[in-house]
Amino acid sequence: MTETIRARAMGRPLERLDGRDKVVGQAPYAYEQQVTDPLYLHPVQAVIARGRINAIDTADAESLPGVVTVLTHLNAPRLTGDGDGDDRELWVLQSDEVHFRGQFIGVVVAETSEIARHAADLVRVEYERWPHDVELSADRDDLYAPDKVNAGHDTDTDVGDVAAALADAPVVVDHTYRTPMEYNNPMEPHATVAVWDAGGLTMYDSTQGVHVVRQRLAPLFGLDPGHVRVVAPHVGGGFGSKGAPHAHNVLAGLAAQVTGGRPVKLAVTRQQMFSVVGHRTPTIQRIGLGAETDGRLTALVHEVVEHTSRIVEYAEQTAVVSRMMYAAPNRRTRHRLAALDVPVPFWMRAPGEAPGAFALEVAMDELAVACGLDPVELRIRNEPDVDPESGRPFSGRRMSECLREGARRFGWESRDPTPAARLRDGWLEGTGVAASVYPRIMQTGNRAWVRYGPDGRYEVGIGAVDIGTGTWTALTQIAADALEVPVEEVRLRIGDTDLPEAAVAGGSGGLSAWGSAVVGAARAFREKFGRHPSAGDEATGTAPESPAAEDFSMYSFGAQFAHVRVHADTGEIRVPRMLGVFTVGRVVNPRTARSQFVGAMTMGLSMALHEEAVLDPRFGHVVNHDLATYHIATHADVQDVDAIWLDEEDPRSNPMGIRGIGEIGIVGAAAAVANAVHHATGVRVRDLPITPDKLFH
Amino acid sequence: MEFLRPLSWEEALALRAGRPDAVPIQGGTDVMVEINFEVRRPGALLDLNPVRELAEWEMAEGRLRIGAGLPYTRLIEEVGDRVPGLAQAARTVGSPQIRNRGTVGGNLGAASPAGDCHPPLLAAGAQVEVESAAGGVRMIPAEEFYLGVKRTALRDDELIRAVWLRPAEGPQHFSKVGTRNAMVIAVCSFAIALHPAERRVGTGIGSAAPTPLRAAEAEEFLAGELAGEPAWGRSLPDGLAERFGELVGRAAAPIDDVRGTAAYRRHALAVMARRTLTWAWQDRLAGTGRS
Repeated sequence: MTETIRARAMGRPLERLDGRDKVVGQAPYAYEQQVTDPLYLHPVQAVIARGRINAIDTADAESLPGVVTVLTHLNAPRLTGDGDGDDRELWVLQSDEVHFRGQFIGVVVAETSEIARHAADLVRVEYERWPHDVELSADRDDLYAPDKVNAGHDTDTDVGDVAAALADAPVVVDHTYRTPMEYNNPMEPHATVAVWDAGGLTMYDSTQGVHVVRQRLAPLFGLDPGHVRVVAPHVGGGFGSKGAPHAHNVLAGLAAQVTGGRPVKLAVTRQQMFSVVGHRTPTIQRIGLGAETDGRLTALVHEVVEHTSRIVEYAEQTAVVSRMMYAAPNRRTRHRLAALDVPVPFWMRAPGEAPGAFALEVAMDELAVACGLDPVELRIRNEPDVDPESGRPFSGRRMSECLREGARRFGWESRDPTPAARLRDGWLEGTGVAASVYPRIMQTGNRAWVRYGPDGRYEVGIGAVDIGTGTWTALTQIAADALEVPVEEVRLRIGDTDLPEAAVAGGSGGLSAWGSAVVGAARAFREKFGRHPSAGDEATGTAPESPAAEDFSMYSFGAQFAHVRVHADTGEIRVPRMLGVFTVGRVVNPRTARSQFVGAMTMGLSMALHEEAVLDPRFGHVVNHDLATYHIATHADVQDVDAIWLDEEDPRSNPMGIRGIGEIGIVGAAAAVANAVHHATGVRVRDLPITPDKLFH
Repeated sequence: MEFLRPLSWEEALALRAGRPDAVPIQGGTDVMVEINFEVRRPGALLDLNPVRELAEWEMAEGRLRIGAGLPYTRLIEEVGDRVPGLAQAARTVGSPQIRNRGTVGGNLGAASPAGDCHPPLLAAGAQVEVESAAGGVRMIPAEEFYLGVKRTALRDDELIRAVWLRPAEGPQHFSKVGTRNAMVIAVCSFAIALHPAERRVGTGIGSAAPTPLRAAEAEEFLAGELAGEPAWGRSLPDGLAERFGELVGRAAAPIDDVRGTAAYRRHALAVMARRTLTWAWQDRLAGTGRS
């Protein structure tokens, strides 16, 4: 157990320190960074899904007044390395091959963004078309098992004898669930401003991790990491899609090399985002549950089929949720991939857990119905004493309390389980519950420094990034408590690779990683300079050791409740109320934390009812590649969404006692809505999104 | 792309005559999206915004003449009580920002089968006033205006000047199903208008065929069942709304697409037809609609 710091600022609902700057427009996002005499970029994208470029004619584009140059694979600067592995996504303009529709095959450099865009239209490309394949199905004969799935999880796990247990089980629920291809769609599209001069490369980027961008890009450009600087003071959301540099970053870096030092600006359009910044794979999931008549699970099977791109393997860890959620003596999880000619999938909020928990938690609802049990009680009955597959104790698992507290607040005790039994004014009413979970992830390699300034304030520096979650504020609160001073005496510096090494804002683990390093730096500072430092005193520190991490299984948990109304005649679905109850360790800032929970639950509502990218198998592109047709919940779809959390800290996790909060809210939310729709209508929809037509057969 | 900016209606017609490839633009909520998404790149844009009279409305010959450039927001506020069906449809268009810019004329010119204004215009028996420099004014009944997906009866040299509607003589309703609760293209939509003086019910179907259309058989069925004065003072006979709904569903020619299946569209149309007829009839009996 690590020694936790005393909470004085932590736990207070401090207003966002960057709030005023954002409201008045003084917080510079990547594209708004002031640079001198910039040029503008517009990419040229492939319009075939697979093949080779036979000829590319840039003459018309280059003759347009205001065009500086057009880069293609024929004349672009060469990248360094062999272009293998994950670098294949970043191996931009290095060959004539097209691996997916929308791939960048050129870029126009021009005096204005309008000229650049116009010129990009004038580039003529002749292709040699090869057959492509973008259709996922569970009965393909080329499905394969990856070596590992995302976050380093095992591809398959087996415990006991699942087949025998399923055959013997008095109650069996065995169905296939599907989730569609989904897109992160942060409010701020990806954007980057690149400057290449004698000092190296400077990139103002909309990213979840400045150091990650530097680590990935420096070797590609043949630069020492010390000659790459990445700056990101403010970012308008990422939801995972900005967790690593993508092709546009490389495109900007290549273009910046040919402009004689003039900066280049590249704003990825919303439509381009559907091709080049990642997406969530569609999933086809079989869940098999075997249970005694009292609901106790004897077998749990979770088999997943999903896609990856052919050039970079990304395997969503969809079934890992079933490895630790419920006790069952016999268990099996599988991940199988189809390598397709699709854009490269990547992280999207709660990769793995979000689609996986939809399937598992709807299946648990089906089991509750099959056993005639209340779904809250069913889950409590299957609570494991220790992590079922690792055998380790949980650092904290107050799942049952979340379920009970949520049930109490939601008025669950008066619920009649009969489906399709509550018709009011033409609307069928129903309620549903689902469990939430997300791992506590502790990223290593973080450092921070503390300096005492001449103004009597402590400057705290770390190369973290605030992607809109509230890092500026929450990390300041942690620093204040680590130094045992008021927040007013702390001046935080983040968002720059000139600041010490810091992990990506991902895996709900940013604040855990950065906060731990800040605590380490504060301790180092106090040890060296005591309580009365002099101006200029400075100390660097890293995260304290966390020996408990080896001995405990650490997760956050939650229970989500949804109330839906489904129009009996048209099938229109409304969600008047959602409630989430979470156990996440300490909450550093209740104001910004609440936004994370409520925002993620809203994203789960959107996943349940709206979000679906439609891939056209003939051309290999997403048809609804804009926000008019890729539907995300609007204000009018979101009514009463509330989140609360248990008052606690998890001292085994880190010195702040936190486990992370950014993603758990989306996990289980869609299942809660789907289960409520079943309760309302008696129709079990196992394919997301739940649209009105699926309620009529 | 040329940008033509006439300052008067006459100038607009003259420019139109010389540039059949020009796309008229009003609020830009449709045209600009198409250009931005590279759906089309017209040779010229004909900006009608400076032609101020297009953004006005008037009462003439006992009818409302709504200028093609009157934004939805003003339509709702200024004449919504006289054309309740059209106003209900206008309220479901896009977001407040879109309703501040978008116009009935634009909706007609775009002629998307999913356009929200078409069903109430069909149900109300609206006429579209179009004009050209050479041919003068033509009045085209709404039901003859829509020829195909995004194709209309407008000739190359004509512009839409206004739509004409009689102030509602009876209750009117509009209903729309979407896959979310706002800013949504209709999966399908339906409008009804009671015409008590003619002992007739008007209908309009949206987003369920290549063009917006009337449910002719359903209208004839109701006219037959409700023939005679007494029927219009009594409650609807049992089963009548259901049968009406079925006929409306049958009138559509929907397809399966991203927004919904054909079968669902027929079903939802039947529901909306039944529902709006019931509402309208209740309004009539309660005296809350115009009669």
